[in-house]
Amino acid sequence: MSLSPTPLTPEIVSQEGNSIVLSMGPQHPSTHGVLQIMLEIDGETVVKAEPEIGYLHTGIEKTAENLFWSQAQTVIERMDYLAPSSNALCYVLAVEKLLELTDRIPVRASRIRVLTAELTRIASHCVWLGTHGIDLGAMSAFFYAFDLRENILDLQEASGGARMHPNYMRVGGLNGDLPDGFLVKLDALIEKFPGRMKDLRGLLQANPIFQDRTIDVGILDVEDALQWSVTGPPLRASGIAYDVRRAFPYCGYEQYEFDIPTRTEGDAYARFVVRLDEMDESMRIVRQVRKQLDEPGPIMIDDTKVAAPPKETIALSMEALIHHFKIVSEGFRVPPGDVYQAVEGPRGELGYYVVSDGGNRPYRIRTRPPSLYNLQALKGMAPGNLIADLVVMIGSLDPVFGEVDR
Amino acid sequence: MPSTQTPPIAGLAVDPPSLRPPIDDATIERVSPDALRARLEAAKADGYTMLLDLGAADYPQRTPRFDVVYHLLRLSTESTNGKPIATPARLRVLCGIELESAHVPTVTDLWKSADWAEREVYDLFGLIFDGHPDLRRIQMPNEWEGYPLRKDYPLRGPAREKSPRPPFALKSNVQAGTPPTGRTLEALQEQIKRARGEQ
Repeated sequence: MSLSPTPLTPEIVSQEGNSIVLSMGPQHPSTHGVLQIMLEIDGETVVKAEPEIGYLHTGIEKTAENLFWSQAQTVIERMDYLAPSSNALCYVLAVEKLLELTDRIPVRASRIRVLTAELTRIASHCVWLGTHGIDLGAMSAFFYAFDLRENILDLQEASGGARMHPNYMRVGGLNGDLPDGFLVKLDALIEKFPGRMKDLRGLLQANPIFQDRTIDVGILDVEDALQWSVTGPPLRASGIAYDVRRAFPYCGYEQYEFDIPTRTEGDAYARFVVRLDEMDESMRIVRQVRKQLDEPGPIMIDDTKVAAPPKETIALSMEALIHHFKIVSEGFRVPPGDVYQAVEGPRGELGYYVVSDGGNRPYRIRTRPPSLYNLQALKGMAPGNLIADLVVMIGSLDPVFGEVDR
Repeated sequence: MPSTQTPPIAGLAVDPPSLRPPIDDATIERVSPDALRARLEAAKADGYTMLLDLGAADYPQRTPRFDVVYHLLRLSTESTNGKPIATPARLRVLCGIELESAHVPTVTDLWKSADWAEREVYDLFGLIFDGHPDLRRIQMPNEWEGYPLRKDYPLRGPAREKSPRPPFALKSNVQAGTPPTGRTLEALQEQIKRARGEQ
C-alpha cells in the first residue's frame, strides 16, 4: 500500500497484502511523553513507522522573541526539562558570543558551569536509565537511578534555588556562588556514585533478559546515523566519536581529561552501554572540577551594562542603582549579528542559532533539538522489527518531548 | 509582564547576519535560491556528510524576506590505531527567499533528516519545499491557518489579538456606580455617621 503523500489514518486498511495500520500513542506510557506513531504492521512486524509529533508544541521560540534576553532563558530551560541547565548554558554562551564577552567570563563561573552541566547530564541519564528499565519490565533499577538523581536535584536546588528549572546560568556568569555546605554534599555524591553505578550495571547491563531484549534491536549503522543527523550517544554507539565538548570546546572543556565512549554495534544495547560509560566519564570531569572549586573568585562578569551590580552596592551607590534599574526594567542590548552555538547535551548536539537586531529582545532563536533528529531516525530503524521492540528503540533514543515539540 | 504587551519587533531593514564578521567557528556562505542545490550537493561531496539543522528566519523589512539556514557538519573519520578520530568543521549556508515565490528546493534526497526540518519550516514560516515527499504541518494542527513564526503573526494568535484583555474592573460594576466592595458611597457615609453617634 502506498503511504505518501496522504498521512496514515487508522481507517486505512490495505486491500493487498495483510498489512494494517495501527496508531500507537499519543497516550502510550512507553512513549515517554506525547508521541504518536502510525504503524503499518504485517502481523507483529513493523512495515513502516511514521512518528507524529507536535502534541506538546507550546511556541517557545515565538515566546522567546517577545521576551528580554534574560527573560527568554526561563522559557528556554523548559525545552529539555530533564536537562534544563544544558539548554541555559548553550543559550548564554550564544548570547555571550554576540556580546563578545566569551573571553571575559570569570574562571570560577566557567568551572561551576561545567560542574552543573555534567551533573545535569548524570541526572538526565538517570531518568533515562530508570524509565528504560521499566519499559522492559526491570523495576528495581528505576528506584536506584531516581535515588541518585534526587541527590543531584538536591545540589541543583542548593545552587540555583529550584529542583527542576534552576535558572542558575546568567549571561556573564552565574546567579550566585555555591552556597555553604554545597561542597560537602558534592563530596558525598562523588563518594556514593561508583557503588551506585556498580549496582545499576549489575541490575541491567549484566542481566540476560535485558540483553536479550536489546542486543541486535534497532540497529543504526554509520551511514544511516549520518543520514538521519543523529548525534550524542546514538551516534557514538554507531561508531563515530563525535562529541561537541571535544570537537568545539567551550567553558574550558579542553583542560579536563575524559574519554569519549564509543561502540560499533549501533543497536539498543550499544546505546545503553555508551550512556552508562558516559555517566562515569561525567563523574570523572566532576571530580576534576571539584579539586578546583576550593579556590574562590568572582562568578559574574564585572560589566554593569550586562550584569546587574551586586545587591549590597545598590544601597550605597547611585550609579549601581541606575544600572540595576535599567537592566531590570529594559534589559540589555545585544549588537546585531547571528551566531550558532552548540553544546553537548545529554541527548546530543544541542544548538542555538541566535539572531539579534540590536535590540533588547532576541530577534530569532532557532533551536537545534537533538531529540527531534534522534527520534526521526526511528523511521529508518523500525521497519523489520517487532512492535514490542519499538518500545526498546524509543527508550534507547531517549527523546524528550518538551524539546521535540518546543 | 510588560514585555508581552509590546507589539512584535518590526525588524531591521538590513540583514542582521551580514552586519558583523563571523563570531562563531563556522564558515558562512550566502547563496541564491538557484545555486542552492548545487552548493549543497558540492558541500556534501566535499565531506559535509551531516545536515545538522535546517531552520529559517523572517526579516519583513528586507528583500528577500526569508532566510533559510543550513547548518552542515564535516566529520572526517581518518582512523588512527583503529579508533576513528573526528576533526570536524562547520559550514553555514544562508539562502534568501522571496515572499512572492516562497519556494525552496528540497534536500530530503541528500539528507533524510531534512524531512522533519523542512516540514517545520513549512509549518511555521509557510515556505514550500519543492520535491518534499510529505509536506504537511508538523507542530501545529493540520487545519491551522497562518504561519506562527512569521513576524507579522501576532504573539497570542489572530483570534485573540482582536479582542483585548478584559479590563481590571468589571463593566457591570462601573456602570452601576458601585465601588468594588459592592457598597455605595452614601451607604459608607451613613455607616461612618452611625459610628460617630451622629444619628
